[in-house]
Amino acid sequence: MTMLPERAPGARKMGLVIDLDTCVGCHACAVNCKEWNTGGEAGILPDYDKYGANPDGVWFNRIHSYEAESPERSRTVNFPRSCLHCENPQCVTVCPTGASFKRAEDGIVLINTDICIGCKLCSWACPYGAREFDEDAGVMRKCTLCIDRIYDQALPEAEREPACVATCPAKARHFGDLADPDSAVSKLVEARGGVDLLEELGYRPTNKYLPPRQAQIPTAPQEAPARPAQGVGAALLRLLDKALSR
Amino acid sequence: MRPAASILLLTTLTGFAYGLLAWLGLDVAVGGAGAARSLILIGVAVALVLASAGLAASALHLGRRERAWRAFSQWRSSWLSREGVAAVLTYPVTLAFAAAVYRSPDAPLTRFLGAAAALAGLATVYCTAMIYGSLKPIRQWHNPHTAPDYLIFALFSGGTLFVLLHTLTVGAGALPAVFAALAAAAALLAKIAYWRYIDHQPPLATLASAIGLAHGTEVKPLDAPHFTENFVLREMGYQIARRHGEKLRRIALGLGFLLPLLLSLLAAAGRVPLASSVLAVACAALGLLTERWLFFAQATHVSALYYGRSI
Repeated sequence: MTMLPERAPGARKMGLVIDLDTCVGCHACAVNCKEWNTGGEAGILPDYDKYGANPDGVWFNRIHSYEAESPERSRTVNFPRSCLHCENPQCVTVCPTGASFKRAEDGIVLINTDICIGCKLCSWACPYGAREFDEDAGVMRKCTLCIDRIYDQALPEAEREPACVATCPAKARHFGDLADPDSAVSKLVEARGGVDLLEELGYRPTNKYLPPRQAQIPTAPQEAPARPAQGVGAALLRLLDKALSR
Repeated sequence: MRPAASILLLTTLTGFAYGLLAWLGLDVAVGGAGAARSLILIGVAVALVLASAGLAASALHLGRRERAWRAFSQWRSSWLSREGVAAVLTYPVTLAFAAAVYRSPDAPLTRFLGAAAALAGLATVYCTAMIYGSLKPIRQWHNPHTAPDYLIFALFSGGTLFVLLHTLTVGAGALPAVFAALAAAAALLAKIAYWRYIDHQPPLATLASAIGLAHGTEVKPLDAPHFTENFVLREMGYQIARRHGEKLRRIALGLGFLLPLLLSLLAAAGRVPLASSVLAVACAALGLLTERWLFFAQATHVSALYYGRSI
């Protein structure tokens, strides 16, 4: 059903908190996402023209790198982009078949690929570009928040988190219940001033991004070290310098 | 946005079909079918064939055509679903209208069914327009112009077709041609107003807000996630031939709206009514396909921001 579900009081809002301060832009989360979701419950994530000139395929997570310049400073910002499991997801309400839906119990936005007709309208309705079309199966695909990991009782409890979170070497990705103000992720968002992407469009994303921090320790601008001069004369002078320094 | 041929055909053909149906229905609702029974019956047949062709074209857009029937289920939230339901409901209403015209052309029930068929057709066009009008990430679609424009273009294109069929069956008539000319003028003005509107619209968002950085931060793409195009760029970041936009706009205005307007006036004046009404339909079809292509190709999507595109 593509009507948005009534959120039951006390229902969880599972989502990700992504730290733009510590993300190093290594793409490990995207690669592990691809790896898990091409083999897991979600089935194959297709690749086209794999070894050709224009390789292409479906990825649930894409890593951009940007240069951000403000009056105070400039920096590189690495930015992982995936489904934000919005509270007001227009990708769900535009779906004509009921294939696109939001779960009442944890807020995860999913696609039932068994009934999706592949009309692509949901991808037009998502301002984050989080949905990608599976040309092989003729249906739309998206991040499942690794629903086949996070509830899998056969996995050790520590591993019941999305593949992207599990693999991040910089611990820039966090997973948890954003409806619970006492959860680790909610506290992190509170402490670091986590933000919604494209707030002005009104999709109310569940996933939060932690903006890059200002440097805590002031660092003086460094001068480039002087290059030692080359040539026989310079070598003699260095020898003399060494001798006199004794 | 990528202008898919299937969708251009769908929206243009159903515009002609339901616009024609609206004129036929209104004609009967106001004055009864009377002497124009053959016009109404042939017109209804043409409208149903064109609408069916358009709907068949739209099925080509689907990744899983065999599941298309599922699209009728979510009419409570989805304009695409509502379009499907309205299109299907229009068939029995239109067939009942045709049967009533055949049996008793001037009965009150016939007139009522005429109005009902006109409304059903226009309601389908409205649903089609709202598929685009409801999409928040696309400023060129999500605005107060989209729905009225689609209705005006349907009445305009269907009007040229109505004049042609009128000339072929009943004979040349000044009144239908005057209505077609008025609709063409309205369409011309609506399109100019729309282009002025989207050309002066501010972008919906900035790259800084798209990646959660403070307002006013200047952000430039450094490394893209992938070296080749992906689905998002192909579908939402369409850029091909955008530089021909101005030229194509002039072609759409001249061919699609201005020429049919002049040809309709010519027909209204009783000069070469058949030739001018045939030409008016042909010009409107080519012009509206160009206009529809531009409606997609010049629409920008917020997600293209992430790739450094301007929206």
